Amino acid sequence: MSARIPKSPGFWRETWTRFRRQWLASSALIYIIFLGLVALFAPAIAGTKPIVCRYKGHIYFPCLGYFESSWENPIFQRDGFRKEYTPKRFHAKDPQSWQIWPLVYQDPYRRVRADEWPGQPANPTHEDGRPSRYNWFGTNEDGVDVFSQMVHGTTIALLVGFVSMGIATALGITLGAIGGFAGGTVDMLISRITEVVLCIPTLVLILALLAVVEHPSIWHMMVVIGCTGWTNIARLTRAEFLRLKQMDFVAAARALGLGWPRIVFRHILPNALTPVLVPIAFGVASAILIEASLSFLGFGTPPPNPSWGTLLNQGREDRDLWWLIFFPGTAIFLVVLAYNLIGEGLQRAIDPHLRKSEG
Amino acid sequence: MLAFLVRRLLIGAVTLLLITFILYGLIRKMPGTPLTVNMAEVDPSKRLSPEDLERLNKAYGLDKPWTTAYVYWLGNVFRLDLGSSFTFKQPVLKVIVDRLPATLVLSITSITMSYLVSIVLGLFSAARNGRVEERALSGGLYLLYSFPVVVAAVFLQYWFAVQLKWLPIYGMRSTEIYNNLTTFERVRDILWHSVLPIVCETYGVLAYYTRFVHTNLQEVIRQDYVRTAKAKGVGPVRVLVHHAFRNTLIPLVTMLGLTLPALLSGAIIIERIFAWPGMGQLFFNSITERDYPVIMGLVLMFSMLTLAGQLLADVLYALVDPRVRLS
Repeated sequence: MSARIPKSPGFWRETWTRFRRQWLASSALIYIIFLGLVALFAPAIAGTKPIVCRYKGHIYFPCLGYFESSWENPIFQRDGFRKEYTPKRFHAKDPQSWQIWPLVYQDPYRRVRADEWPGQPANPTHEDGRPSRYNWFGTNEDGVDVFSQMVHGTTIALLVGFVSMGIATALGITLGAIGGFAGGTVDMLISRITEVVLCIPTLVLILALLAVVEHPSIWHMMVVIGCTGWTNIARLTRAEFLRLKQMDFVAAARALGLGWPRIVFRHILPNALTPVLVPIAFGVASAILIEASLSFLGFGTPPPNPSWGTLLNQGREDRDLWWLIFFPGTAIFLVVLAYNLIGEGLQRAIDPHLRKSEG
Repeated sequence: MLAFLVRRLLIGAVTLLLITFILYGLIRKMPGTPLTVNMAEVDPSKRLSPEDLERLNKAYGLDKPWTTAYVYWLGNVFRLDLGSSFTFKQPVLKVIVDRLPATLVLSITSITMSYLVSIVLGLFSAARNGRVEERALSGGLYLLYSFPVVVAAVFLQYWFAVQLKWLPIYGMRSTEIYNNLTTFERVRDILWHSVLPIVCETYGVLAYYTRFVHTNLQEVIRQDYVRTAKAKGVGPVRVLVHHAFRNTLIPLVTMLGLTLPALLSGAIIIERIFAWPGMGQLFFNSITERDYPVIMGLVLMFSMLTLAGQLLADVLYALVDPRVRLS
């Protein structure tokens, strides 16, 4: 005979509930998820390669070539498509073939010419490239569609945030935890290293590291941003470990004879993670900002890569093309705003002082 | 106090050593040297012959391994000699000092403006706490805070310089006519050019400072002496400014110490966008041209300022508030 006590909601669940109650923060989260979907389905939204096609009796997915060029089936190369899949060519080579096309027939890497798509004129260049029926966000100097560049650039904007902050988080939590838990000389050493990295101006360090790599790719940039952004996280984790180490439940765990890995990973770490979430959210925003600023200044990854910052840079060269400034600029602003709102929302959901004042 | 200062200075010196050591290594590992980067890009025929290159390498000490070169560099720094720039053929110190006024014009104006404006806004939002106008203000400032500086700069350039033609698009002075101007007109010319960069440098921090002032005021307003002041019939403005705000000055003064590095390095990106001939421009150019001595001079200066700012914040805190003991 045992009375069933309903399980009280855990800390994470409670935080999530409080986070969800803030409409601004939750809509920011929904926006980020939406961007994630855009990034995932970018080749299906804007592209010049069919999503699915049936060609000479087989089914192919040429649009995957946008993710990785080797995923395009070599048969198209052999049959002389030369990476341009126009409906006309499909019909000429195999009248029985059918294709499902992306929503917008525009390519992020090249100019679409006249009559590639039935009835669609060639992309305008220079000042004529203002937003139109065929080019929703206009075209750049060379006539490459801006909308499709932005859709494909979403991946970079999101990846920069996730990958660089992932690296920073892993570094920060590991170093902070080691320092806080071990104490003594190890702690002092790690604290000094943190201070050194903290005192080097971020931009100086990033540019120096980027210059060391001969041909920096977007991945190098993410690693470099990650390697410079971990100091705050390390300091917070260390402080949390120092505090939690003294708590009764850790003493109890010790008294039970648990080894240190179990104490660290099962008992201390889960409790130390929540305060770290806030700087991570803000860090994602600043990582995106750094990438955009560097690409904008021409210190980022070389084209062709449709990063939003690179697009903004093109608009800077010819200032009459306002659409090259307006659309990417707004996109960068919105994604930074969303991450800041998420960070703010997390702060409110976690911070006990703010919680109390809300009633 | 003295013991604290000595200890902090020692730790700071070690940190500086480590920073310069790491960056020196990184900079020397960049592909290309100051001698090869420049010439090859301009004109292949101007490329140095191997013998000349070797001779110059020797003259500039580029043939030594970087650890040895670092020790030499450090020794020279102790003699207050930062070396001489490859690009400008001048002592690094002079190159940096030449750029100083341009950067200071921007940063001092922008820091002063941001403090003044955010104190006013902070007082306003504390007085109107919770009402519609306070909500609107903090929302608006938050939007500004999230607005990327590069985007804002390009938007402003497009609107005010290209469309309306009110303000110059970049640079620090009107090159064609500057030499014919009187002193007064020159000052006006520079001020005119500095409007957009200063706006860009200022608007982002407003939200942060305003909120800082606001929350501190919010805490002080709940104190008993504020209630006493209200009870004895002091007007609302006087209570806010004389009784409440004065007591929030301590954290504000401390923050002043932390803005010290921003004085010189805050505007690196903005200077680059607006082609403002200051420290930021110098830094970007010296990186692309692999001008080792200038990069190291700037790095040394930036990190010294950061450390000094932290120390200043702590010391100011103890000076302003006698209850704080440094240990």
